[in-house]
Amino acid sequence: MDRLTPFVFGAYALLILFGGLFAAASRDLVRAFVGLLVSFAGVAGMYFLMNAPFVAFMQVLVYICAVSVIVFLAVMVTVESREGRNMPPKPLRRRLAAVLSGGLMVLMLSGMVLKHPLQSLAKAKAVSMAELGRELMGTYGLAFELISVILFVAMLGAMVLVHERRKG
Amino acid sequence: MLPIFQFVGIAMFGLGFFGLLYKTSFVEMLIGVELMLNGAALSIMAAAQFTAASAALGQLATLLVMGLAAAESALVLAIILIVRKRFGRVESDEISSLKG
Repeated sequence: MDRLTPFVFGAYALLILFGGLFAAASRDLVRAFVGLLVSFAGVAGMYFLMNAPFVAFMQVLVYICAVSVIVFLAVMVTVESREGRNMPPKPLRRRLAAVLSGGLMVLMLSGMVLKHPLQSLAKAKAVSMAELGRELMGTYGLAFELISVILFVAMLGAMVLVHERRKG
Repeated sequence: MLPIFQFVGIAMFGLGFFGLLYKTSFVEMLIGVELMLNGAALSIMAAAQFTAASAALGQLATLLVMGLAAAESALVLAIILIVRKRFGRVESDEISSLKG
């Protein structure tokens, strides 16, 4: 089984990189959206490889199912306003600036990872779901409550933003 | 194993950052931000699973990042709807004036 791991890792990494490339650079909105989905799926596979099946399932549930629906709604709302309008190609300056700053960010972070290597374990640790639940309800209870408050406020804010008072 | 996973996370973050700067439409910028958040979550998870740090803490942090991403995308969708209603289009370079 361990012999298969590099191949599986490579496949997931390719999914993530190509999906990300499509999502970030494609001119077509729907294509970018599909790239994003592929990338999310690759990350879910990575979580499985890291011996964290619960988080992998949450990735599928939250990102591939929920967040993607939200992004798709946004795509649907805007795709018709883009149709029939030929988008002018972006100026070279903007493209260069984006590539340079993205590349610099990657170089800086990779340099940090290479310069300060951490003691890496050979195998990923396993955490049982019961232990996760205990931590969530005990030690990190406050964080759990706060994230619920943030979600609630965000949903409320979104509803207030798009709410229209009935006239008359 | 740890650095390889972190390089994938960094690459994903960089792609998202590139998308965020390169694109002008709000939807494409939202896609870029989602990519960045996912790359960061992947890196957090790798750091927790392959070092002596608490693995449960890393997994919970990843879950919290997912919650934040969901909240953020819901808000951005609302903003996109409003901008579309007011301006008819959702490009950031068109919408650069504020009015009280």
